[in-house]
Amino acid sequence: MSERPSMDVDIVCVGFGPAMGGFLTTLAPALAELPSPPQVVCYERADGLGFGVSGVATRARGIRQSFPNLDPAQIPMAAPVGEEKIVYLLDPIGASRRPASLRLADRFTRRLANRELQAIELPGSPEFLHKTGGLVLSIGQFNQFVGEQLMMSGAVQLWPGVPVAEPLIEDRRVVGVRLAEQNGQPGMDIRAALTVIGDGPFGPVGRRIDETFGVPGGFERNEWAVGAKMVIDLPEGVALEPGTVFHTIGYPEPEIFGFLYVHPERMVSAGIFVPSWFANPVRTSYRYLQHFIQHPYLWRYLKGGRLRSWGAKSLLESGRRGEPWLVGDGYARIGEGSGSTNMLTGSGVDEAWTTGIQLAQGVIELLGERAPFTSENLERTYVARRRESWVEREGRIAENARDGFQSGFLKGMIGMGLAGITKGWFTIHQEPRPAAETLSSIEAYFSDRVPLKEIETIREQCRATGAPLHDVLMERSGWPPIPYDGQLLVTHQDALLVGGKVQATPGFADHVEFLRRELCETCLTQVCVEMCSGEAITRKEGGAPVFDREKCVHCGACLWNCSRAVDGRTNIEFRAGAGGLHSAEN
Amino acid sequence: MAETILFLGHTEAAGELSRITLEALGAAKSLAGERVVGLVGRETLHAAESIGSCGASRFLAVTGEPFSVSRYATDCAAAEAICRAAGATIVIAPHTSRWARSLPGVAQRLGGRADTHITGITSNGSSLQVARWFYRQRMEALLGRAQRPWILLLESGCRAAWQGDTAPVTLENIEVEITPALVRTTVTGKQAPRSELQTIRPDAALLFVAGAGWTKKQKDGAMHVGQAAELISRFLEVSQASLGSSKSLVDLSGEGHAVLPFLSHLNQVGQTGSTPRHPKGLATCCHGEEPHVVGWRFIQERRAVNLDPNCGWARGKADVLYVADAFEVMARVNALLEER
Amino acid sequence: MNIPYQIVVCGGVVPDPLQTLEPIATANGPALKNELLLPHVLDPWSAHALYEAAHLARRSAGSKVWLVSVAPKTKLQQVMMTIGQRVPLELVAIEGPASGFTDAADVAAALAAGIEGIAGLDQSRLLLFGGWESASRAAGATMQMVGERLGIIDQFQGVDELSVADDGALRILERIEGGQHQVSVCSGPPVLLGWATGNLPEPPNHPQIGMQNMRAIMPALQKARTAQISGGARFESVTLPKQQRATRIVKDKPVEEIAREIVTWVTAE
Repeated sequence: MSERPSMDVDIVCVGFGPAMGGFLTTLAPALAELPSPPQVVCYERADGLGFGVSGVATRARGIRQSFPNLDPAQIPMAAPVGEEKIVYLLDPIGASRRPASLRLADRFTRRLANRELQAIELPGSPEFLHKTGGLVLSIGQFNQFVGEQLMMSGAVQLWPGVPVAEPLIEDRRVVGVRLAEQNGQPGMDIRAALTVIGDGPFGPVGRRIDETFGVPGGFERNEWAVGAKMVIDLPEGVALEPGTVFHTIGYPEPEIFGFLYVHPERMVSAGIFVPSWFANPVRTSYRYLQHFIQHPYLWRYLKGGRLRSWGAKSLLESGRRGEPWLVGDGYARIGEGSGSTNMLTGSGVDEAWTTGIQLAQGVIELLGERAPFTSENLERTYVARRRESWVEREGRIAENARDGFQSGFLKGMIGMGLAGITKGWFTIHQEPRPAAETLSSIEAYFSDRVPLKEIETIREQCRATGAPLHDVLMERSGWPPIPYDGQLLVTHQDALLVGGKVQATPGFADHVEFLRRELCETCLTQVCVEMCSGEAITRKEGGAPVFDREKCVHCGACLWNCSRAVDGRTNIEFRAGAGGLHSAEN
Repeated sequence: MAETILFLGHTEAAGELSRITLEALGAAKSLAGERVVGLVGRETLHAAESIGSCGASRFLAVTGEPFSVSRYATDCAAAEAICRAAGATIVIAPHTSRWARSLPGVAQRLGGRADTHITGITSNGSSLQVARWFYRQRMEALLGRAQRPWILLLESGCRAAWQGDTAPVTLENIEVEITPALVRTTVTGKQAPRSELQTIRPDAALLFVAGAGWTKKQKDGAMHVGQAAELISRFLEVSQASLGSSKSLVDLSGEGHAVLPFLSHLNQVGQTGSTPRHPKGLATCCHGEEPHVVGWRFIQERRAVNLDPNCGWARGKADVLYVADAFEVMARVNALLEER
Repeated sequence: MNIPYQIVVCGGVVPDPLQTLEPIATANGPALKNELLLPHVLDPWSAHALYEAAHLARRSAGSKVWLVSVAPKTKLQQVMMTIGQRVPLELVAIEGPASGFTDAADVAAALAAGIEGIAGLDQSRLLLFGGWESASRAAGATMQMVGERLGIIDQFQGVDELSVADDGALRILERIEGGQHQVSVCSGPPVLLGWATGNLPEPPNHPQIGMQNMRAIMPALQKARTAQISGGARFESVTLPKQQRATRIVKDKPVEEIAREIVTWVTAE
């Protein structure tokens, strides 16, 4: 290996998501007015700006603050939010696992529901869930739009395809970042007076900072979800108004919430969230997504459609409880990884963007004062702004709002409603447990549907072929096989290729590693295999699972989907890596 | 508009016309208008006489030693002179590497246009339409042009080769002055691929495509690149098939990764590779999605071996998909071929 | 003998190869559906040309590389974020369509005008590079026309290798029929090389190169002139191939039987 190169800049930023968009969009014009503008560089892991992110319906308060005259027509796939509906989906198949209380409720609901559509549109949905005045966006396209403006300003540089391995820490001060090794060459050190960390909840820089500097009391990150979605070209003749938003509950499993957002030009985003508190140990997001889109309420629009794009991503649902130290000497954290997501309102982009604005305002103030980026100064200029803002206020209300889900779907819904209506005064508080503790064993979860012996046989067969268990077990539990049509209902591999256009740049090491392999060898559930959004982790006969970098979509699900927790962490390491999704439409 | 159709050919090493050249002549003959033959080469009379009965009104040639080789400067000068002498409005030429290099430049000199990789020509009364593929064989267009002269380079296999009797011709020799600027480039010869890479056989009946799956971790969790290399090279030896591969697999070889040792960029099929023509194609360890299959546009019979029963090949891209482990299947195929 | 070359690389942008492409008819002729949504990459053969250019420039002290590109500015900017990190270059940006349905002659005129606008170009040091074909139009015609406009008549297409002899002569390997290469020697610049793949891998990202390049790339994009580029041809139709084969799927058959079936098929006349 040759000697490690090094380069100096003034501000180095990690991860180009909505938070960094907010930060740089606010910072760039102010830099132009300085006599000697600082050099600002942002590194993004994915191969393009806007790869590997998701579609949203957002109130866009922060985004509109940055772009007061924003015309959605300037951004491909953007539309103002129009009609919003919350829809309860009944189970038209009979395979969904509904607790007795819900089954009872379903009996009454069925009488009110549209029989053909197997759904009921809830009247008068609560105000806190509404996205009135907001935007339906493809964050991929939005990020590209933001990136274009930033690059054209000439004030900042954005470099995709550059994974950042870790922070550089000297004397408990962050002095920059180290880029990932490529082709056996050591990654370059980028030294900077300020490191802005927006690499998300499972980004290696943020996690290393937590390991090094510790976390505040009460900090927990046990609530997660995998969001999996498809962008679909609607068939001819389907009339859905751009900006229409459906939030769904109840199907394919009560724990799995869903959405459908309508973009212009007959495109929709349809997706689901599979949460960490869902006990199913073979909790595949892809297979559930396929059942979700075939629900009669949605299928009436989507049948005959074509898959344009597909993607998946982990969401940190701990919200404010997952807030780390926001600043330290030489660094500041923004966005989802800084605990800004609000799970009561189901909103993250707006909050993330706004934290970026707040940090930029703080940085501009410090640049004006010629003050150093110390913990105290960043606390005074950035954290103070954040604490006084709606992000903090609403984050507090949401803090315990979803705890009820720890004890089941109905309790969770009641808790959420209570928190929303009373603005956080009343909640059902229950400390969330790590995923490893909430998972059932396969035998226990399927005990009422599949005999033990058969599970063993299925496991043996899957081990021989490397396949996950979920397809077999779901079909044995009453879920019908997927009627592949080669257009919209396609295999997982096709979703990777045709939808996600997944590729991996050569020259980088495997970024997923099984730490103590002996633990994996004796693990009977191997949730990492079941949950893997790209079928990149496969079973191996007599050993730890096998990771294929070229199929990884960097959703991060394996990091928290591991039943073998050791010393408060899972048995999987998820490092900086290049490649993944190559679609900018998600 | 009455067209003057110039068929433009170049002779081969022994003074003959190649098959693809005769196919282009076949296409030129199907068009209405005055037909002129133009030939370039060291010696052209023999070639002109070999197509003497093709019905052309004139036979033009640029002949001589400087035109014995495939060189842009001299080829352009010769083709330009012939086009001007013929007063050509339509020029039909075979898509050889020699004409593909030079004729677009000739179009520029004549103020005309050149279209390459033509796979079909149709003449509908006064209007001429050609077919060609765009975006690496992913979509086919039919197009016409008002600009003249219009130079068309025809792909092989699109027309039957012209067949006819030898007949004496009056060959009009056109003089092209050889200035030093035209011969700054010297053609020194041809070079075959390195011996260990001799697995490209354009004339083979079968194209064997090795996908990236050969170098991936197999079901035991390990890679078996050495075994893959052995199986593939043995198969190529016993079947005399031509070897194709994907860009990703070839790229890996440039990165110093464990890949099949005999692969080079020349083997690449598809997006940035070739679109070879073979009667049969066998794909192994390749998923068969549209971008993988664009290089297969001109492979007639297609079979694939893949572990995934729902892979791209299963959905109308192949005639037969064998859902099986390519390592096991190819080992048996080799054994059976060796027995024969 | 060290020659400080001036290497001008022509290269457009094309949709990332794995994207799904669908033609649509517009008032201005055929186009790709949702073309602006698709991520783009530097045309793969041009990219090989660029890497070869950078490689040669590194070995010949005093050499410089330009990239001349006709493309929509926003797409070119996206592509520059990747390419700009890999090789030191100066960008000459020309605003125009990236579509494969444009006319090669018009694109050539725009490229030639862009090249002529480079201050201080010296024909005795000029190596004009490009891809031998594009992944969009795939005509293999544009570069020859650029060369003609610039008066370069030593042209080579399908190039896989360029080496420089001690006397400065250029030895060039071009792809020809039969999987072979033609070997030519040209006494020196100016020459035009339409590259096939060459033999170099993609260079890794290099942050310092990125920083250096970007200072000039953004101004180049900002002052990009718009080229007049027409469809040229009269398109009657553009269609996706409809041919779907009736695939016979052979499952659960012993390897022996599958092997026998393949052998029978392979060896049949």
